[in-house]
Order: sequence, then structure tokens, then C-alpha cells
Amino acid sequence: MIELRQVAKCYHGQNGVTPALADVNLTVQDGEFVVVVGPSGCGKTTLLGLVAGFERPSAGMLTMDGQPILGPSHQRAVVFQQPTLYPWLTVRQNIGLGLKLRGTPGDRTRLAVDHYLEIMGLSGFGEHASYQLSGGMQQRVAIARALIVEPGVLLMDEPFGALDANTRGDMQRFLLDLWQRLRPTVLFITHDVEEAVLLGDRVLVMTDRPGRIGDEVAVPFARPRHWDLALTPEFLQLKRTVLSILRPDMFF
Amino acid sequence: MPTLGAGMPEHFSSPGRQPRWMWVLPLLLVFAVISLWQGLVSFKVVPTLVLPAPSAVWMDAKMLVLQGFQGQTLWSDMWISALRILSGFLAAVLIGAPLGLWMGTHRVVFKLVDPVLQFVRPVPPLAYIPLMVVWFGIGEMSKTMVILLGTIPVIMISALAGVRSTPRQRLQVAECLGATRFQLFRHVILPSALPEIFTGMRVGIGVAWTCLVAAEMIGAASGLGWLVQIAGQDIQVGVIFVGIAAIGVLGYLMELGIRLLERRVVPWRGHT
Repeated sequence: MIELRQVAKCYHGQNGVTPALADVNLTVQDGEFVVVVGPSGCGKTTLLGLVAGFERPSAGMLTMDGQPILGPSHQRAVVFQQPTLYPWLTVRQNIGLGLKLRGTPGDRTRLAVDHYLEIMGLSGFGEHASYQLSGGMQQRVAIARALIVEPGVLLMDEPFGALDANTRGDMQRFLLDLWQRLRPTVLFITHDVEEAVLLGDRVLVMTDRPGRIGDEVAVPFARPRHWDLALTPEFLQLKRTVLSILRPDMFF
Repeated sequence: MPTLGAGMPEHFSSPGRQPRWMWVLPLLLVFAVISLWQGLVSFKVVPTLVLPAPSAVWMDAKMLVLQGFQGQTLWSDMWISALRILSGFLAAVLIGAPLGLWMGTHRVVFKLVDPVLQFVRPVPPLAYIPLMVVWFGIGEMSKTMVILLGTIPVIMISALAGVRSTPRQRLQVAECLGATRFQLFRHVILPSALPEIFTGMRVGIGVAWTCLVAAEMIGAASGLGWLVQIAGQDIQVGVIFVGIAAIGVLGYLMELGIRLLERRVVPWRGHT
């Protein structure tokens, strides 16, 4: 379980102090899929960087399973917008890196990687160079690399934001299936309202300058979910609710 | 500098993209230059003492290979120059690359070494030659040291830049996989820095040649720099031409060697 209590973050620059986040309270229960949606520049990435442990908060408390978050840990795996694969490693070596770093024997790593290659629909691509794969496949390698160390939570920072619309849809469906199969705890960040409502159990809407969590919308749709959910009136109604919080100016 | 010419073919000929007849162009240029040269000599525009005929240069080349000049054949001069380059350049890479990596990963080391590096860097390597000759004599050590001193800043700065250019997220991904400090270096920083180090080596080999030829001109009894220098004193322009050509050929071969090594060690270069 991830907990944030009154977390704030300021940056000290040439123009004085810039508040990036203020008074953020947030809880992610084990097995939950929580989506944070907000306009660009609202501090979403800062929030994720704090939870990952890349940055320290200016004020407030961040804990995971009751322990304060003091730095990056294999308990919190991150998938960025860019796949950030290591080009000197094959697909197989990229996925298995986390196990190799902790000294897992080669044959066990091999079996685990085979398993994830199969889950990710990448069977037969293990020996490819990472840069030979398409964008969507590269992002699946990045997800496999994060999941193989069995983190307590998967942090995703606009993971499909750099993909074209079709691939993005494919990856959203893929992630729904993957969640159904592995039930990871996910904190997912996006600016795409439809993506948020389709994937999340709860959608937290952020407002900007400084970033705070303005409102929370529970997503009642049962799982397993299918992509055609996005065409139902209930879905559109919920999307409208989120949008009206995010962009009140569009609704008068 | 040999690297200048050596860099050209890669930029100018990406195979398969250009019409087949393009390979004729460099030959055409060579042919034109030799014709012009022969013309200048035949019509006595310049005296042969200043510019010997192409055929005379060819004879000089044969003489250099078969009998040698002042007791040394061209091969032995090429061999000794190549050995000097390799010893000085290898020393610069083997010391400079680890030092640059160390500076890039440890603030204290950077603060300690950087002022020295910044002081040494703008000094033309040729300025070290008298000092090296006084300290190490006109033997092999002084040449190796001049090449080492001239080349090592280039290698160090490229290794440092390689570390600095490691994308943040590459490091963050490994941190989230539980990498230790050493594992971060071994599995992320070092491979990220390698392409830059190879760029530094390609620049460095050119600097090494400059240092070597200068050092051989000032204090040596063998080598291509010595050959060119001694031929100049004898006003043997043909021999000078052959010496310069030999430097160019050797420099080009070494550049090719580094490029081949680069392709084997960092085949992912240019991919993210």
C-alpha cells in the first residue's frame, strides 16, 4: 500500500521558489489500479518521481507498506513514456536485467524471461536487439522488465503517450488483459481522460499550479473490461464527469 | 591530419543509395591532379627542384622501398612510427578513459583533476617536446610521452562527456531494478559512455600523429617525421612527397582500424 500525506514539492530556481505540488493526499491499496489524470505541467511526473523515490518531498510523508520512501527501490518499478531499453542488450537481456542484478541463477532467469516473453506476446523476439522492435513492442519489453522483479507497485508515467492512436488502443487493451492475469498494483499517470476511465478503478483529477488532487471519481465498471466499454453511454457519462472537473471552462 | 581525409568516405558514400558511377569521382580527381602536376613540370612552369615530375616521385618511392634513404628503408620508418603511435596512443586510452570515467562518476575526483586537465588542454603538445627530450632523451620514451600528453586530454574529455550524457531515465530504470552503485556503472554508465569514448579515440589518433611527426622532426634518427625532415634539408622534394603519402596511408589505416573496432564493440551506436 502506498500512502501520501500532505506532500508538497517546490523547486528552487532563478525566479525564486516554484511550487510544483501542494497538499497531495493519496492512497493506493494493494491490487488497485489508480489513475492520476491532469493537464500537462500540473506536476503529475513530479508526483510519480516522488513515489518512485527519485526525488524527496519538500514537505509531507510518503510511505509504502508503512515504511517511509527514501530512495528508488525494486519494490517500485517504473515504466516511462519512452521505453528506455538498453540498446546494448537483447530483448531477453533487457527483460532479465533486474534478476541478473540481484544474482538470480541463469537458468531461473531464463525460465522467468521465457514466461514474460510469452505473456507479453513477444515469443520469438527474445534474441532481437531492442531497437529492432516497434514502439508498442518496446513498451511491452519495458513493462516486462519492470514486472519480472515482482514489485509491490508498478508506476506508469504516460506509458502510451508516445505511441500512435492505434497502437495506444492496442496497448490499453493489452494492459487490461495483463492486469486481469497478474493483478499488479498500479499507479498510472496520463493526460488522456478516456484512457483514465477505461483502465482505472479510481481516477484522481489533478489541477495545476501548484498541482493538487482536486477530486476523485470512482469507476464502477466491472472487470474484466473490454475496449467496447468505451462506446457505452455509462462510459461517456463518466468521461464527461471527469472532463467537467478537469476542464470546467469547456462546460460553462 | 589523417583523420580529416579518413572521415570523408563514410559521409560521402552510403552504399546502395548513390548511382554506381560515383566511385569514379575520386579517381577522376586524382587523375586531374596528376595531369595538372605533369603539365606544370613539362611546360617548365615550376623548376623540378621545387616540384619533381610524378615519374620522378615514383622513382623516389621505389628507391625508398628498395634501398632506403640515409640508411633506413621506407618500411622500417613506417614500422617504427607505427609502433610509437600505438604505444603512446594505447597508453593514452588505457590511462585516459578510466580516468575520465572516474572523473565523471566521482565529484571529488572531478574537482581534483579538472583544473589540471583544463590547464594542460590548451597547451599545444609540441610545447612539451623540448621538456620531454631533456627528461627522457631522444629515445622512444620521449616520443611516447609527447603522444601520451597530447592525446590523453582528448580521451579523458570524451569519457567524461560520455558519462555526463547518460540519459537520466536509463539510470532511473536500473535504480528501480535494485542496481548497486557499481552495477549502475558497469551496466548503464560504462556502455552509455562507450560511443563517446570511440569518438574521442578517432579524434585522438589524429592528434597522436601530429605529436609524433613533430617529435620525430625535432629529435629522432628514424621514423616518417624524421624522413620528411631530413629530406627537406637535402631539398629532396620527391622523398618528402613519399613520406607525407606514407603518413597519410598509415593514418588512414589506423582510423579504419578504430572504426572496425567501434563497429564490433558498440554496434548499437546511434540507437536509443
